[in-house]
Amino acid sequence: MDHTKRVYNDIFEMLPTEENPSPMVRINRLNPNPDFPLFAKLEWMNPFGSVKDRAAWTMLRDLEKRGEINEKRGIVEPTSGNTGISLAAMARARGYHMRAVVPNKVPLEKKLLLKIAGADLDVISDELCPAPGLGDGSINLAKTHAKAQAHRYAMPNQYENEHNVQAHLQTTGPEIWRQTDGRITHLFVSLGTCGTVSGTSKFLKSKNPEIKVIAVQPTEGHDVPGLRNVSQLGVSKLFDSSLVDDILEIEFRLAYARALDLCQNEGLLAGPSSGLIFEGTREIIMRDKKGLGVMIFPDNIFKYTSNMAKHIAGLMSGTQA
Amino acid sequence: MMTSYAHPEVLVSTDWVKENLGTPNIKLVEIDVDTKAYEAGHIPGAVGFNWQTQLQDQVRRDIISKEAFEKLVGDAGISPSDTVIVYGDNNNWFAAYGFWLFKIYGHKDVRLMNGGRVKWLNESDKQLVTDVPQPTPVQYKATGPHLEFRAMVPLVFEASKGGWNLVDVRSPDEFTGKVIAPPGMSETAQRGGHIPNAKSIPWSTAVAPDGTFKSANELRSIYIDQKGVDPNKQTIAYCRIGERSSHTWFVLKYLLGLENARNYDGSWTEYGNLVAAPIEKA
Ligand SMILES: Cc1ncc(COP(=O)(O)O)c(C=O)c1O
Repeated sequence: MDHTKRVYNDIFEMLPTEENPSPMVRINRLNPNPDFPLFAKLEWMNPFGSVKDRAAWTMLRDLEKRGEINEKRGIVEPTSGNTGISLAAMARARGYHMRAVVPNKVPLEKKLLLKIAGADLDVISDELCPAPGLGDGSINLAKTHAKAQAHRYAMPNQYENEHNVQAHLQTTGPEIWRQTDGRITHLFVSLGTCGTVSGTSKFLKSKNPEIKVIAVQPTEGHDVPGLRNVSQLGVSKLFDSSLVDDILEIEFRLAYARALDLCQNEGLLAGPSSGLIFEGTREIIMRDKKGLGVMIFPDNIFKYTSNMAKHIAGLMSGTQA
Repeated sequence: MMTSYAHPEVLVSTDWVKENLGTPNIKLVEIDVDTKAYEAGHIPGAVGFNWQTQLQDQVRRDIISKEAFEKLVGDAGISPSDTVIVYGDNNNWFAAYGFWLFKIYGHKDVRLMNGGRVKWLNESDKQLVTDVPQPTPVQYKATGPHLEFRAMVPLVFEASKGGWNLVDVRSPDEFTGKVIAPPGMSETAQRGGHIPNAKSIPWSTAVAPDGTFKSANELRSIYIDQKGVDPNKQTIAYCRIGERSSHTWFVLKYLLGLENARNYDGSWTEYGNLVAAPIEKA
């Protein structure tokens, strides 16, 4: 593979690796601290549009290697959208079927994209009331399909699948180490399945235990697809608190405000989870004063225009003749 | 001292259900909040009842009539002498409502599967299937309605004056009137708050982290010692539409043995719409 020419035999050759890393771009106008250069790692540059390309590919390859999937037996997976979109596109291109189970709160753009990418879609109503022992409705429905129709479905289960962590241990971590020539002092991430934080942190801390890993979480009752408040983290079996130095809780509406700032001042068309990460980063670079920060920006804003309209006052005005 | 539930015979474990799969006079009924869950997979042999379209009268706001109950249950191949096991999603909310309905129409032996659908789902030795059973319909003769299980408005007014246990099982924000219904719920009310003299004991108080009911000792200590539910008084449980309160009603009546416990199925979507009814907030 010649990554300088960028001519590929199939889309999978474009997936990120240490030799073909997702790009890192410096924050200029929105960084108030000249002693703390900041880079955004643009995961939306991955071929299927988000950080979840990494986990999806590693989990899919594992199922293939173990002979768990074929043209009859496809995949069922609970997703807030991105994992599903990556998995559906990959699975269909390799001849497997795919069913995605999403919570109703997921933006319409993602539901449509899942269908466009070729997934069958189940939408489940969101949690009604805190309920002990229930876990998450979309995980439960996906498990039900996998159990009731084991001949039709294998379930990667990104919330428990160690390959989700492996993906970041093998790609995201080494990429960042190389792209910063080992000078990174702070890693800024968000928490969903926690594959990103666990894998990347494990790699970077093995290279330099002094590196600080800062995770952000939205306030409870939030509307930031892909992320979990600590109260919802129980389902993420991949979360390992020893790999995280700080967890910042941030008012979820700031995710949308900061995403807009990044779009309008840096030319970075970043999505809401990136916005939330950026808000947390700004807190820490004022606290820690000096360093070199890398923020993992999971996806771009294109899938969230309807959410932006909901959370950014005045955005809809003037959009109709 | 270890005490047991007042009526342990109305509760069965997932293991018990597994061991008794296929026993001719044991009938399984799944009742879910999410009416799609049954279709995706259910316990072998279980029929599915839809709480929206099959357990409620489709014209007036009421439980289904005796005739409709007889038809529903008879068509499911259930006889009055059968043992009926109900289970469902969301910690058995609507399964408990179904249990209550079976009691109202006099079914002798109805039991709840402890932990509901999620417990079964997460146990590796338990099977789920998609094929829907085709039972041979039978003639079902119900008795009742046995209205001693049900509270209607006049009794609720009586209870609101004090001297009863009035148990509000909704979330704290619904109790105080901060919200009228949980976010996204379509059934609502004109006013928020709670019935005077009600105690706030959210339904989930009764449930252990694994989704099964807490032990008799724990329930006794929470409901009676800490929250002050008086076992010698008459009791009414209510919520928003009567399903979460069926769950607590089951706990109060069958696990704690409060014989005079009723479920107020009209709940806040009735009470919070009544003109001139007294309401407390905060
Ligand atoms: C938009 C978005 N941001 C952040 C995340 C969190 O990444 P992870 O699941 O690796 O914790 C996800 C994952 O689902 C996502 O879709």
